[in-house]
Amino acid sequence: MASVTGASITMTPLSGSFKANSSRVSGLNSVSLSAHAICFPSLKMRPGPYRFQVSCAAKPETVEKVCQIVKKQLALPDDSAVSGESKFAALGADSLDTVEIVMGLEEEFGISVEEESAQTIATVQDAADLIEKLIEKKDG
Amino acid sequence: MEKAVQRWIVDISKWNPTPHDFYSALSLLPLHEHSSITSSFMKQEDRKRALISRLLQYALVHKVLGTPHVEITIKRTLEGKPYLEHDKAPQEFPNFNFNVSHHGDYVAIASEPLCLVGLDIVSYSISQIETTQEFIQDFSSYFSSLEWDNIINAGTDDNILNAFYRYWSLKEAYVKAIGSGLAFGLDKVEFHHTNWTNIYVQIDGVTMTEWRFWLFELGKRHWVSLARGHPRLATESYKRRLKQTEFNEEEYGMGLHLPNTSFGSRTVGQLISVLCSAKEMPKENE
Repeated sequence: MASVTGASITMTPLSGSFKANSSRVSGLNSVSLSAHAICFPSLKMRPGPYRFQVSCAAKPETVEKVCQIVKKQLALPDDSAVSGESKFAALGADSLDTVEIVMGLEEEFGISVEEESAQTIATVQDAADLIEKLIEKKDG
Repeated sequence: MEKAVQRWIVDISKWNPTPHDFYSALSLLPLHEHSSITSSFMKQEDRKRALISRLLQYALVHKVLGTPHVEITIKRTLEGKPYLEHDKAPQEFPNFNFNVSHHGDYVAIASEPLCLVGLDIVSYSISQIETTQEFIQDFSSYFSSLEWDNIINAGTDDNILNAFYRYWSLKEAYVKAIGSGLAFGLDKVEFHHTNWTNIYVQIDGVTMTEWRFWLFELGKRHWVSLARGHPRLATESYKRRLKQTEFNEEEYGMGLHLPNTSFGSRTVGQLISVLCSAKEMPKENE
């Protein structure tokens, strides 16, 4: 999964696995110490019909909706500073919260997130990007 | 080898630091840990847990390995699993590794000399917002049908949640031991037990004899699960950090059957003392 930052796409192949947005690697490493973080499995570049898709960053409305759902699930006050960059683990999400958040997003957006993809979501932005990609696939 | 089998737990509700105390404790940790504690977490409680978690890691490494403070470098894999860099463990600890967990009032750490170790603390209270059935339903795909039956037929809501959380924490302990994220296919990781003792796991129907599991009650409605198992199941990114992943049967057996000590309480004050004395060791050059 890649996000377009500015005009360039960052891709860092890592022995067969694909890691998104390498400029945020340090962020990935500071994910919660407990397994309550959603983490990155190796995303294999699959040949055949699954062309690697480049998605643009999600619309602000989508990010906003995700923020709302996250705040609700984690019982954060409405005015708390949750943005696209917020990492779920840093907001206090444990593994159960993560599953619930993904389900909340599925319901809200009418999409279905596979477990495999759910693991790639570390920030609110990641979730919003994935949602838009899935919506696109659904409608397209 | 027993020396490297450690189980420490801190009740964080007993530590209420002033900002000065907090930063003073923080200063005992290497600089690269500071920002991940202070700026990553939104809630103060989470920051407190994160700080104590790191204090536990550095204190334990120092206690077990005797490593001078300045030489302890703890990093995290991509999936977030902490490991010790530039491992200076003596030969008797072929694979010194550790794992931490924090939830509610507790932060805990466990270490092992040879086997992988993973742990998970859980606590729960009955939701005011939704029914127990509604709550657990969201997670049904993570359980095998046997486990699910055991959960929903456990009796009262309290019993159901109890069973649910115990199974969940065992799965988490396993996932954390191997250094994965929230692994998919957890419905194939099926736990068997006799009243929550003699716990073993079957993966895809195959009993994993090289893995052992325990559940302990901590009080205050908190439980902790512990997994001990074979390094060859570690995820690639974590396997790379291990010294040794293949063992002959005898050697591995020794590691697997080491006594599983119970969790010993530590106060934050004790951790701070350990780290202070670690800093005073020769070769310091901060």
